[in-house]
Amino acid sequence: MNANDAASFSSSVSRLPSSGSSAIRRAWAICAKDAAQELRRKIAAASIFFFAATAVTLVSFAVGPFGLPPEARDRVCSALLWIILFFCAATGLPRAFVREEETGTAYALRKVVPSSLTLAGKTLFNYVLFLAIAAVTVPAFAILLEWRMGSAGALAAVMVLGGYGLSVVSTFLAALVARASQKNVLFVVISFPLLLPLLLSAITATIAAAAGELPATPLRVIVAYDGAATCAAYLLASAAWED
Amino acid sequence: MKILKLLLLPYMAAVIVGAFLWPAPAQGFIGESSRIVFFHVPCAWTGALAFLVAAGYSVAYLASRNPRHDDVAAAAVRIGLLFSVLALVTGSLFAKIMWGSYWNWDPRESSFLLLVFLYAAYLFLRAAVEDPERRAKMSAAYALFSAVLMPFLFFVAPRVTSSLHPQTIINPQGKILMDGPTKAVFFGALVGFTALFFWMLSLESRSASLDRAAAASRRI
Repeated sequence: MNANDAASFSSSVSRLPSSGSSAIRRAWAICAKDAAQELRRKIAAASIFFFAATAVTLVSFAVGPFGLPPEARDRVCSALLWIILFFCAATGLPRAFVREEETGTAYALRKVVPSSLTLAGKTLFNYVLFLAIAAVTVPAFAILLEWRMGSAGALAAVMVLGGYGLSVVSTFLAALVARASQKNVLFVVISFPLLLPLLLSAITATIAAAAGELPATPLRVIVAYDGAATCAAYLLASAAWED
Repeated sequence: MKILKLLLLPYMAAVIVGAFLWPAPAQGFIGESSRIVFFHVPCAWTGALAFLVAAGYSVAYLASRNPRHDDVAAAAVRIGLLFSVLALVTGSLFAKIMWGSYWNWDPRESSFLLLVFLYAAYLFLRAAVEDPERRAKMSAAYALFSAVLMPFLFFVAPRVTSSLHPQTIINPQGKILMDGPTKAVFFGALVGFTALFFWMLSLESRSASLDRAAAASRRI
């Protein structure tokens, strides 16, 4: 752990509320610590946005000039958008726990904060990060591929609910792989099958949103998935993160 | 117990002979292709059962921290993967005969393929962690997390779109649409495959326990 990391971590931990404070405030403190660290090293956050920009540009070069048949447009664009968002998440979200291991602050964090609150705080940070990525990626994607969204409100609902599930599962799996070898490859390998039901529902919901419909059924599936993933992550947090 | 294991061989032989000779081929299927139900469905059932057993032993491990439970959970996943791959292969053979292609992106075959990916990832996770205690804990956490999200693969995804799968067992009426001999051989095969699984599980988990003991003695 270098001097800057040690200083930033100890100052962050010292700002954590005392044990009598509410769990929400302690989780929020973890989220704020991660945000401060991420903003301090701008290159890490910037690289995720650059990855998103590269992926969107690549897709637009590959698909844009040829155009898509109107009947396939919503389906293809929805699938491509969520593939880009999945790989952006796979690039950026595991860092929440991996960074703690790399900088040597994981041990102290385990001693100071209960694992469920650590997971909650990091999930919150990842969720905000995902929404920021989506807020940049989705409009850029729509502009470059000339994709008209029938219902922007329905799309926002899909992003908010789908992004939450993606963040919960990614954060939990990041805690699991943080101490494994080949972390980045392993994260993609173990997250893809678990996230696929969510991604399929999100793609179905995005297709409906693009057509201007309210995707009630896929949104219900996403809400159920979000709930199940949250409960499982909360119950298994200590097994995934503690020694 | 030993007698039961010895009886399993003639029992399975009888099931196989019965599967090919006793019930008449089902109507609505090309040639003798319907007979694959006596192997395909039991393989799929055994695969799913193995993953449930793995989840059960993962809970037991997290509650007791007994490494023997981790051995059984990992063994169940390995055997479950074997049966799941056999279910995919037999399903693909049936699909080629009935629908003209080995793979049709039918929701049920796709969700089963994802189940194989999910538990193959479990083995990748185990291979990536050196410390045995940490490996056992992380594997148990992953197995349980997967078990919670598995219903979305099995029950939700296949129902989002229509399926090519025959509705003989899982159907809206909630009935098993088979005649007497077919039903007898089918349930006989289910019992036989289940017994075979538990036998393989006892062998594989004992072998894993011996490997763990040998590794521990090497470290000393």
